[in-house]
Amino acid sequence: MALDTDRRKIQHLLRRAGWGYSPSELNEYLALGLKGSIDRLLSPDSVDDSASQALIAGLETDPNQDRGALLAAWHLRIITTKRPLLERMVYFWHDHFATAVSKVESPAFMQAQNDLFRTRAFGRFDEMLTGVARDAAMMVFLDNRLNIRSAPNENFARELMELHTLGEGNVYTEKDIKEAARALTGWRITTEELPKDPMGKTKYPKPTGAVLVANRFDAGKKTFLGVTGNLNDQDVIRALAALPETARFIGRKLWRYFAVAQPTEEMLARTTKAYFDSKYSMREVVRTILTSDEMYSDEAYRWRIKSPVEYVLGYTRSLGLVGATTRTITQTRAMNQTLYEPPGPQGWSKGGADWIASTTMLARANFAYEVTRSDGPKAQVVDAPALLRANGLTVSAAQIVDGLADLIIGGDIDSATRQTLIDYLGGATHFNFAEAQRNGALHGVLYLMLSMPLAHLA
Amino acid sequence: MPEETFLDRPIDRRSFIKGGMAFVSAATAMPPAFLRATFDDNSVPIAEVTKETAASLGRRVLVVLQLAGGNDGLNTVIPLGDRGYFTSRPGLAQNPESTLALSNGMALNGVMKGMKGLWDQQRMAVVLGVGYPNPNRSHFRAMDIWHTASTAEGFGNGWIGKLLDATAHEKDSAWRAANIGNELPRSLFADSVFVPSLSSIPAYVLSTDRKFPKDADRRLQTFAQINARYAEDAAVQAEYGGALAFVSQTGFEAYQSTVMLQADAKSYVAKATYPNTPLANAFKTAATLIMSRLGTGVVYITTGGFDTHAGQSGTQNRLLQTVSDAVGAFYTDLAAQEAADDVSTVMWTEFGRRIKENGSGGTDHGTSTPMFVIGGGVKPGLYGEQPLTSSPDSSGDLKYSTDFRQVYASIIEQRFGVASKDVLGQTYNTLPLFA
Repeated sequence: MALDTDRRKIQHLLRRAGWGYSPSELNEYLALGLKGSIDRLLSPDSVDDSASQALIAGLETDPNQDRGALLAAWHLRIITTKRPLLERMVYFWHDHFATAVSKVESPAFMQAQNDLFRTRAFGRFDEMLTGVARDAAMMVFLDNRLNIRSAPNENFARELMELHTLGEGNVYTEKDIKEAARALTGWRITTEELPKDPMGKTKYPKPTGAVLVANRFDAGKKTFLGVTGNLNDQDVIRALAALPETARFIGRKLWRYFAVAQPTEEMLARTTKAYFDSKYSMREVVRTILTSDEMYSDEAYRWRIKSPVEYVLGYTRSLGLVGATTRTITQTRAMNQTLYEPPGPQGWSKGGADWIASTTMLARANFAYEVTRSDGPKAQVVDAPALLRANGLTVSAAQIVDGLADLIIGGDIDSATRQTLIDYLGGATHFNFAEAQRNGALHGVLYLMLSMPLAHLA
Repeated sequence: MPEETFLDRPIDRRSFIKGGMAFVSAATAMPPAFLRATFDDNSVPIAEVTKETAASLGRRVLVVLQLAGGNDGLNTVIPLGDRGYFTSRPGLAQNPESTLALSNGMALNGVMKGMKGLWDQQRMAVVLGVGYPNPNRSHFRAMDIWHTASTAEGFGNGWIGKLLDATAHEKDSAWRAANIGNELPRSLFADSVFVPSLSSIPAYVLSTDRKFPKDADRRLQTFAQINARYAEDAAVQAEYGGALAFVSQTGFEAYQSTVMLQADAKSYVAKATYPNTPLANAFKTAATLIMSRLGTGVVYITTGGFDTHAGQSGTQNRLLQTVSDAVGAFYTDLAAQEAADDVSTVMWTEFGRRIKENGSGGTDHGTSTPMFVIGGGVKPGLYGEQPLTSSPDSSGDLKYSTDFRQVYASIIEQRFGVASKDVLGQTYNTLPLFA
């Protein structure tokens, strides 16, 4: 059972550290082996991603100016990128530093933040923190642009510790929040000049960074985590990044994201060591997890419920439905998740139980219907009989069920469910491909595979 | 914010789901028979269960209508005796002759004939000057304050969610509360109760391929069968832990609730003509849920567009007429179904608008505004006090006379018999809104 072959391990790896796999993608990684696959996933710069980038550049509407286009661009990237772990990390950071466009309003600010997460995804955590502290979208979302000497605003300082580095009430005090807020005062968002645009299409200027406005900065003496002086944002971030509690907090979250629900103390110590040995490198923390034995243990296997984005974009990607982004936006929304619209600064549900309710289960099953329907728009549906033929799955009901199970849920299907699906296709003896195609059972078996409980587990 | 997972916080949710399963199974001797019954005949066992559930819950229903964007209260319920209203709004003030008189010099906007009808039938109360201390003028923040009934920062559960939690019962129907729309409003965020969101009853389905009608039943029954097996198979659960059981239980519940809804909703026939607007359709969906013996106690509806910074006059009148016509049709229908006394509707918006009109024929974000309470058990009339334009607060906006949580508390106590402090966290003076 479980993850006993390289094939199963790589499928598991691609569910967690990627966005699932198409048959050809799986073969590419199988050829690299497990270690080679991990190395490639961790080295996105070594992988040419120009085809995906060209598709995004070719979008009709500018993601910087329109919320729908902003969403479509990221969906399209997740569906088409050759750097799946990089997008996994961008998704992780978007959730970790959750920021909602409904408050920020500017798609250009959100796009810039998304680009920041991509640029710094595997880099030094302290540099990520600095980038986020001076990020326009975050400065709007957690009000740090309003945080000035004469009227300090603690919103960002509080979440920086509670959500971004230490965890609630861990190490810091209310006084530390107040003092950190003072050290974070004075930053103003700067933007490009809006081009002269008689049609008024360009409403949102791109951010160009943040500047410290001297008379808004509180240059007085502050004491943060026991250190006193005229502290600024760098002092606060350096202090936070250097704490083992920060390494532990981030490490625990990444263990849960990629591997197991309950990392042990020893496992946390391992990622903490990787964090400090590498001078806060997120690549090395992630590498420690992906190369660990625990990553492929029984505890790690199928415990996590896929978020709507993981479920919808994962299968849209594996089925090669590049033209489906308008639909995937509606589909994920119906399952209660919209990228760039986390429910609050705490991000989305972390274990996945909140994703699952009757309405969202209907929405998930209806996703399976929409991608397998025989009368849908070509770019948005998979032709089930053609998919089966292309993968040589035409011989028997059992062969089809086993082949699809391998492709869709990573094999390992219990015998009773396997039998139910074989019976649905006409049984072991009565199966006939042409007849199953005519009566809809070929479309149906793919629908059942995509909508079955195991398909919702990563 | 602590991280939530199955393993960390599954218990409430799962026991709730289990409760749901138990309620379904109660209709039959044992689960296998029940499962067979489901596959053989969708309607029979389910209808029996629903009746029992509806009876155990009583028939008091709360409908909440949220006007998103900040509806201009001064042009909704017009203070005809306030001269400042007319002088502050040379372009927007309503012509008194076009308005629909209530009492005490207050009048409804002339487009609100449907709701004036409810006033005349003594089915409507208007609470004037509703607000709260230190009002927030951000949509985002102000809505949260109304949703959570709290001005504390944070992202807590909603006031209705807390009411649902406080009154949860193991026999609760999957349809105990419903949100009409795609996004669950924070008002309905709860710990132990999941509230389904549906855009319409026809949309709450498991879709099947139209080209293969003969395959549809087999396909869905196979779907249900696989979910049911994982939900009940202890060996599978031992192998994969809670996640698989949870997903499959809910998958099976989804199948159940859609069958239940689609079977029961067929029996409802509207006894009024609803206008052809999305909002009226939402009210018709609400009526369908309420009249279909699904055990529904709360329905939430949101309608938007009230953020009238520019060109307010035509926009707001159109919106108010849509609201008024939809609510009017809803109660005409309910009255004909002899259910109008069971169903109370409360209507709110996150803030009113400024006293003075702005330079673009609109109004900017303001403060206090009226609330409407309609239907079941309502003691009709005006409540609260209309704030005077001549005595505004320090920002030049209307003062408030009644805290919105007083209205919530009145609903919670007088309609649902629950101590409002348990839901709202503190005590508010109630108004004698319900008989």
